[in-house]
Amino acid sequence: MIRVNNLHDIPWREGLTVQDVLDHLKYSYALITVTLGDELVEPERYADTSVPDGCAMTVFHLAHGG
Amino acid sequence: MAPEKIDITINDKKVTVLEDSMLIKAVIGAGIALPTLCYHKDLTPNGTCRLCVCEIEIKGKKRLVTACNYPVRQEMTVWTSSERVQKHRKLLAQMYLGRWPNVPVIQDVARRCGVTDGAAFASDLTDPNPKACILCGHCVKACDEFIQERILDFAGRGILRHLTMPFGESDPHCIGCTSCAHVCPTGAIQIIDDTNHPVDPDMIRRHGMKVNAEMATLDKNQCCMREVGTANIVEVMDRYDLLPVHNYKFGQHPDTYKVDSQVLRKKYFTQNNPDACWFGCSMSCAKAVDGFELKTGPYKGHRVTVDGPEYETVGACTNMGCFDPDFIVEFNFYCDTYGIDIISAGTGMAFVMECFEAGVITTADTGGLELRFGACDEVLECIHQMSRGEGFGVEVGQGVRQLKEKWIREGRGDAQFIRDIGMEVKGLEYSEYVPKESLAQQAGYAMAVKGPQHDEAWLIFMDMVNNQIPSFEDKAEALYYFPLWRTWFGLHGLCKIVWNDVAPADNKKYAPQQAAKIPEHVDNYFKFFEGMTGEKLDEEKMLAQSARVHNLQRLMSVLFGFGTRAEDTPPYRSLGPVTEEEYLSRAERYDGQLRSVLGLDPEKMTLDEKRATLRTHRESQYQKVMDAAYARRGWSQNGIPTKARLRELGIDLPELLALAAD
Repeated sequence: MIRVNNLHDIPWREGLTVQDVLDHLKYSYALITVTLGDELVEPERYADTSVPDGCAMTVFHLAHGG
Repeated sequence: MAPEKIDITINDKKVTVLEDSMLIKAVIGAGIALPTLCYHKDLTPNGTCRLCVCEIEIKGKKRLVTACNYPVRQEMTVWTSSERVQKHRKLLAQMYLGRWPNVPVIQDVARRCGVTDGAAFASDLTDPNPKACILCGHCVKACDEFIQERILDFAGRGILRHLTMPFGESDPHCIGCTSCAHVCPTGAIQIIDDTNHPVDPDMIRRHGMKVNAEMATLDKNQCCMREVGTANIVEVMDRYDLLPVHNYKFGQHPDTYKVDSQVLRKKYFTQNNPDACWFGCSMSCAKAVDGFELKTGPYKGHRVTVDGPEYETVGACTNMGCFDPDFIVEFNFYCDTYGIDIISAGTGMAFVMECFEAGVITTADTGGLELRFGACDEVLECIHQMSRGEGFGVEVGQGVRQLKEKWIREGRGDAQFIRDIGMEVKGLEYSEYVPKESLAQQAGYAMAVKGPQHDEAWLIFMDMVNNQIPSFEDKAEALYYFPLWRTWFGLHGLCKIVWNDVAPADNKKYAPQQAAKIPEHVDNYFKFFEGMTGEKLDEEKMLAQSARVHNLQRLMSVLFGFGTRAEDTPPYRSLGPVTEEEYLSRAERYDGQLRSVLGLDPEKMTLDEKRATLRTHRESQYQKVMDAAYARRGWSQNGIPTKARLRELGIDLPELLALAAD
């Protein structure tokens, strides 16, 4: 299991990537910052960065509009 | 799809770069300086000066390329100062020095190329002016790319090439943004007048140019404000279940694709220029539709220009269940033409439509109009009636608060239902976001001095999506900072858009609480203030400036009978699901909350029990967030600024103290 934004629990599977998690949560916003633990993940690495089991992932949405 | 990272070799050293990025970035990234006259990091390169040439080899084939506009490729080997390169640069430097012998940037570049004398290329063209135009093109590109104007351009060919405005005359379209002067490397373009006489115009210009550069380079991958304006968030709000549909019952709809920003871009927007709402603004988020043929009303058959649509226009229409883009543009036009606020009109009509569908009102009340969700023609007819002061339109024009009170007074339907679904606070209709899942946004809306407009605090993402303000104290802090920060824009006549509708590329280096404020952009505004007035500003001073006005505004609200806890309390539709249909549409979410937050088993509860329990919980949560926010703002538990707070802010005038709480 991994926990996203200390809010969503997502079942872990072998090979789960950052992009998979974003797709699962329908996070398709342009201004997001992803961290795995304390590690920043650049957008070009979302598709090939594995998410370890038990990991705390944050997906920070910078508000615009409004 | 994100570009791949590839390895290339520069001067025998391996470096990793993004495929298709320009070679000059890789070279600079490797710590190597290249001589150049026409390259500017924030402008599109075009290889004019050819001084940045490098020698490359791909698959055994060697050649010279200009690094500024040559994309890197797999298996590329680069030499930045081979013998061939040096010979080429030296020749060019001699030619430049021969033509502009006294221009400092030319002298500097020539020195770096090993040239100190350009006499061999002296001619009738030689210009001894140390501030001569060297035809680098920075100004032309800045005008085009920063401001999206083409006031400056080159004319003539070969040795006759020169910089000019159209037809050699001063162009009235020039807005005096001074971008051209800022990027000019020689001083050929100079600013001779600074309107309003700022204390430090360079400080303002330096920080303004940062915004220009971000707009030119980052916006296309961020919010696309230049391309589609605020409408860019139509599809975003839909995806996050925040786009109001059917009077805020729902947050998304399968037909949103029919009215999203891409539809507006492809079929409607024809104007994409700054409309001078903020002089010299490089974001130019205002959009317009030209030649739109109206189908109804007094201008039926006319082709008109429509200012918009913006996000709120579209949101107001989806809230009425209207997903026809032609209708949206026509509704936009007539609201503007009649002087009717689009948000209030949309939210008001959505309330009327729900009341019609629920049987609170019938065609006997509406003069025969079948005002169901999605009834585009009937909405337009109602707006036309409103403008003429006739029929049911007059009643709708009174606003949601008056309609609620009237229909409750007349004993129509369930009074609680009417109160719950009438989306207004303090007599103002809600703007177009669904706040049900964000406690902070519920308060951001309902506690706003003017009523539920999002421009005091838009906290949905911070709260609901990022979960970065989980405690009541966290939410109260956000409800303290953001309304004051946003009040500060209004105090100084500055637009909020370039604060957070584009973000610096490295904003992610900050921790989330700080990142949400976009510190570099806050600093831009502080520098605009300092450059204008000469007074240094920091967060504490900014908050103090705003708090004086914000508290004064709140006291005015008290004076007019709106500035109290009761008037900060929203209709329940803002906090949670009112109807069975609404609960069932998000049953998984609500059942999950009953289970995880309240420790209940929804399987053992009836639908009515679940709705009632959720309501009690959400209403109590809202009371707690108000308590915390009032305490942080220095207001009484009835929401009134205290005398102590007025003294602290230095606005303890007798007239104000008479309104304040003890």
